[in-house]
Amino acid sequence: MSGYDRRSFLRGALAAGIAGATVGGMAGAASAAPQDTATPPAPPFHGRHQAGILETPRRRTIMSSFDVVADDKNGLVDLLHTLTDRARVLTAGGTPPQNGVTTPPSDSGILGPSVPSGGLMVTVGVGASLFDDRYGLASRKPSGLTAMPTFPNDDLDPAWCHGDLSLQLSADDDDILLHALRDIARHTRGGMQVRWRMNGFTNPPRPTGTQRNFLGFKDGISNPDVTNAAEMDRLVWASGKAPDPAWTAGGSYLVVRLIRMLVEFWDRVGLSEQEQMFGRSKDTGAPLDGMREQDAPKFHLDPEGRVIPLTSHIRVANPRTPQTDASRILRRGFNYDRGMDEVGNLDVGLIFTCYQQNIARQFEATQKRLIDEPLVDYISPFGGGYFFTLPGVQDSSRTYADFIQV
Amino acid sequence: MLPASLLLVAGCSSAAVVKPASPGQDSGEGIQISTSHCGQGWTDPHAGPQDLRFTNTDTVSAEAYVVDVPRGAVYGEMEGLAPGVTRSLPITLGSGTYAIKCAVEDNDPIVGPSVHITGSSPGGPALVPVNYNDLYGPAREYQKYVAGGLKTLVAKTATLAADVDRGDLKAAKKSWLPAHLAYERLGAAYGTFGDFDGAIDGRPAGLPGGVHDPDFTGFHRVEYGLWHGESAKSVRSAADRLLKDVKALKADFPNEDLPPEDLPLRAHEILENTLQFELTGKSDEGSGTSLATAEANLEGTRHTLDVLRALLKPRYAALPQTDVQLDRVQSLLDAQNHGGTWTPLQDLSGTDRESIDGAVGDLLERLAPIATTLFPRGSQ
Repeated sequence: MSGYDRRSFLRGALAAGIAGATVGGMAGAASAAPQDTATPPAPPFHGRHQAGILETPRRRTIMSSFDVVADDKNGLVDLLHTLTDRARVLTAGGTPPQNGVTTPPSDSGILGPSVPSGGLMVTVGVGASLFDDRYGLASRKPSGLTAMPTFPNDDLDPAWCHGDLSLQLSADDDDILLHALRDIARHTRGGMQVRWRMNGFTNPPRPTGTQRNFLGFKDGISNPDVTNAAEMDRLVWASGKAPDPAWTAGGSYLVVRLIRMLVEFWDRVGLSEQEQMFGRSKDTGAPLDGMREQDAPKFHLDPEGRVIPLTSHIRVANPRTPQTDASRILRRGFNYDRGMDEVGNLDVGLIFTCYQQNIARQFEATQKRLIDEPLVDYISPFGGGYFFTLPGVQDSSRTYADFIQV
Repeated sequence: MLPASLLLVAGCSSAAVVKPASPGQDSGEGIQISTSHCGQGWTDPHAGPQDLRFTNTDTVSAEAYVVDVPRGAVYGEMEGLAPGVTRSLPITLGSGTYAIKCAVEDNDPIVGPSVHITGSSPGGPALVPVNYNDLYGPAREYQKYVAGGLKTLVAKTATLAADVDRGDLKAAKKSWLPAHLAYERLGAAYGTFGDFDGAIDGRPAGLPGGVHDPDFTGFHRVEYGLWHGESAKSVRSAADRLLKDVKALKADFPNEDLPPEDLPLRAHEILENTLQFELTGKSDEGSGTSLATAEANLEGTRHTLDVLRALLKPRYAALPQTDVQLDRVQSLLDAQNHGGTWTPLQDLSGTDRESIDGAVGDLLERLAPIATTLFPRGSQ
């Protein structure tokens, strides 16, 4: 499978050790990977869609964005071939090849002599900037892919925005993720450089149901049904029909928003005010007109917003009208914790990600409704980007580079 | 919940963990909230921490309060209970006489039958609530303060604009700070001045063009120009726009009604802004005067507190400690004022910076309960 030239990324001894043997050797040994019963079965790498979109989020994630530094289109194709190989190998697990005394070890070894797959999911996307004049791909750009604009309540730091490629790694353990990122970076240094990365995690249910965010509210209760294929075709998957290029079929538009939560300020707000901002009970997660988390709010019975305020987050984000139904998004939220800020406050928040068929119709329509919602004083979006997650790699003859070559 | 936040600050240790509701309590109707049967169905009144279940049996939304009799102090509240809905309220009750107060939409509040509780278990904290009428006086007083401050603001901004018009940018750098502080003293946190605040004191955040965006206007735009070597011509248009906006705010202000229920929120929100944007240095566009702004914000906070003081004295036991903490922040900031020249944030020693951040954070924890304590309850 590795009949391509990866000289642009691997030189000298390292290349000699890995280029010929690693991929085949490690993938071939996949069946010998240690079985870890605690690890959820990873979706197969090959498929119509990439893993990591519809699957239940794992306990840990790395969301990262890369700038491509390959010199030309061939270099980019090489990069994507290598990325495909590494994703295939890492999600399968196996024993890394022994290079003897010829090179440093082919694997970092942090997962032991035999690498477990660890339920790893790899999700790769492309940003609008990849389709600029560097690689001659302008005609292949997904029609709805733009750079993420600045929204009025944003406080964006350019160092935390955009990127040519998105790479999300998900698993239940940090060492699986770090091993994967370390391996991928080692094999692709000449082709791409990390622009930004944020580690995230999901919280366990407290006590039951949907996870709570760091504002203490259950977040992501109302999501489209991922088991409903028709709903996914309507809301999540690109169809590959004009104006989108045909290659996009089976992919999905991804929006990433890095959102700081000002938790100290939030903790100084009364419970009633907090609940009125969200429109849900903090304790149960039920909408304020309901009793249970999964109760659907009945906005039509409360036209003046006496129970669930008209400005509340759930009411504005999803008004639950026939007109706004097509703007629903598939949310995949992860929490982040990156230490303290300049004044000694916790630097924590949300890696908000969502998948959709059309960013303008879905995320942007929702985000525009949310401009100046009361919650904006307690959160601060500072980064993120728009990407198109590629269709799945369907079999061992295909790669992430297919959208360039097909 | 209100009592919890009071307890946090007072350091009271009587807040026992509320026992989880037993399975049997999780179904069926609770105490009735309605105009006709207010408070009926409180079948098992007892002391200690517990969950009270309320069911709105009326046809419109309602608020429910647990009050003592005859004082009317509130122990717990449930806002916006929809018709037909049952929700639980965690509460701690000691021995005494209590009743349920039902404020059903578009009706005068009704107090239900009295319920007697015996036992030695201590009750949670309670509060004699304020209503909207109580807050009108303080709101008017605060408006008077702001109206006076706006006159100063226009005068000082005119001086700044005149310096810039003359092309004397050196003088403008000196007159910028007094004008900016005149604005910062007003306590314009979170929408007090509506869109004027963004035009007069906004940051480039949220603007696609950043500091070069045509919608980046106001004090920080002028600051950016003055401290980044922009030409007099470029600064002039920004300063003229600022003067125009400041005058427009002064002209508009008498027509603006400050919602009285917003005033208690300002007690901590002004300094929340200070911590987020000044003490981090985020709002600084080159003048290095974040600490001066913090001091002006502290003054705005003091005025908010002063007009609320009469309402707070009988209700907020931690008021004296709050005043002590205000003075502590004041002296820490004043120590960085060297005859009108303030230490730039980045030149503060690590110790001084930690002391200021810590003192402001502590003060904020003490100011926050003012918003929940003086939140108007019961009747509008």
